[in-house]
Amino acid sequence: MEDVAIVGVGCTGFRPITPEFSYKEIMFEAATRAYADANVNPRKDIDAFITCGEDYWDGHSIFDEFVPDQLGAVLKPLFTVSADGLIGLATAYMLIRTGQFNTVMVEAHSKASDILTFTDIVAFGLDPIFNRPLGGHPYYIAGLEMTRFLHETGTTKEQCAHVVVKNRKNALANACAAYGADLTLEDVLQSEPMFYPLNRLDTSPLADGCIVLVLASNHVAKKLTDTPVWVRGVGWNSDTSWLESREWGRAIYAELAANMAYKMAGIKNPPKEIQFAEVDDLFSYKELQHLEALKLCGRGEAGKLTEEGITQRDGQMPVNVSGGALGMGYAPEVLGLQRVLEAALQLRGQAGRRQLCDVETGLAQSWRGIPTATGAVAVLSREVK
Amino acid sequence: MSIEKISDPRQVRHWPGHMEADYIYTHGIAGERFFKEIKENGRITGTRCKHCNLVYVPPRIYCERCFEKLEEWIDVGTKGTIQTFTVAYVDIDGSKLKQPTTYAMIKINGTNGGLLHKIGEANLKDVKIGMQVEAVFKPKEEREGSVNDIKHFKPVK
Repeated sequence: MEDVAIVGVGCTGFRPITPEFSYKEIMFEAATRAYADANVNPRKDIDAFITCGEDYWDGHSIFDEFVPDQLGAVLKPLFTVSADGLIGLATAYMLIRTGQFNTVMVEAHSKASDILTFTDIVAFGLDPIFNRPLGGHPYYIAGLEMTRFLHETGTTKEQCAHVVVKNRKNALANACAAYGADLTLEDVLQSEPMFYPLNRLDTSPLADGCIVLVLASNHVAKKLTDTPVWVRGVGWNSDTSWLESREWGRAIYAELAANMAYKMAGIKNPPKEIQFAEVDDLFSYKELQHLEALKLCGRGEAGKLTEEGITQRDGQMPVNVSGGALGMGYAPEVLGLQRVLEAALQLRGQAGRRQLCDVETGLAQSWRGIPTATGAVAVLSREVK
Repeated sequence: MSIEKISDPRQVRHWPGHMEADYIYTHGIAGERFFKEIKENGRITGTRCKHCNLVYVPPRIYCERCFEKLEEWIDVGTKGTIQTFTVAYVDIDGSKLKQPTTYAMIKINGTNGGLLHKIGEANLKDVKIGMQVEAVFKPKEEREGSVNDIKHFKPVK
């Protein structure tokens, strides 16, 4: 089986609203950028296309019927993955590993600003019989999870606020990010309480944007680019859909996804072998919970390491140098590709002002948001092995 | 050229869409029996997997660990322990709630499951993880076979 590399990236940038473009035009722009970056013609050179999304986000029943034209995919093999983009990346990886496809595109997009009733759609994702009749804003689920995480690990609200300050600040150096800001801990801690212990600034605001990646098999990748980013391992899974059966304090989906990806990549000591991580931070505490699940630090240590600056851009283990979802914005189903995009740019040495020194291997991780317990992990490297 | 930029997408040309989508969700075999017990007897029930020694609340007809069919029903009582909680200050439309709502995941004692519900008849400051609570049912004549037949959970005195 051939190794698989990312050979092209395209991003529109993320913005709170995008009134001048339709969602199809956003996708067209990101695809055009990715194809130019990979130096491919989608009509000739791409064997299969993967698009990640969900009918309700797009406001279309069977939205996947509405995607081929703006991606150059008309009358070509097309796959829809109703999940976060990182699971799309894992699917592209598998397609190429079959030997049947040499070049595969992965896409995820959001035009959340088109949605007038976002929270109602999220609430519609709750169990209709046991959970939905209780009513209320569905983000109270995040409040429940945060309470338990803080309780089990001894993490503090202040440590979570450090995540927000760091990521919003990192986003200032990322032209693709919608919500760069220079905040203080007090700004976060004194922002409006929403779902105790979660404040407004602990949550990622919505954003529009699209990311397209082009992946290729080893022999094609080496022809297309001098800076392939190798996909060394992928992993994903979903925990039970029953909120009543979950552990609440731990992100088990992320632990198992990481175990799967590490095994594939031959990673035995994650904090030593991985130099930087892009992890899900849809809510501030999720970054800390996920870092622990990924074994990049011990249980209950992530808050302390964050407070000490270890996860800052100039720290020993930079986390979410891109700005994360808190800084780039919550683009439903695009979060995983936001994380992969940053990892790819860093490994190529093309991250501009936020470029990290001498990075060989990075990790990208995603979570699908409230009320899911689905997660994915990818280990990416400059070298094949 | 205007220096005022459009910040509300509804100000540019658009077509409004409205998705009419109504459903009924049948409770299924497990849900039918669970809600009948609540409605008629004010009892919370679960199903037990004897292979895994797990008690499911809400009940299911299958075990998610070993995938065995579950047929043993048990009365699990109406008391539980707060596994986690939150206080919602904001309603679904983003507006501020006049009265904050306390939600909790209540582990029903002696089971591996529980119920997501509201906490009532409690001082907000006293609510904490590990607190013992019990279900408060609506009067029988008002019960209709729904999770809202339980008004809320209240601290055990």
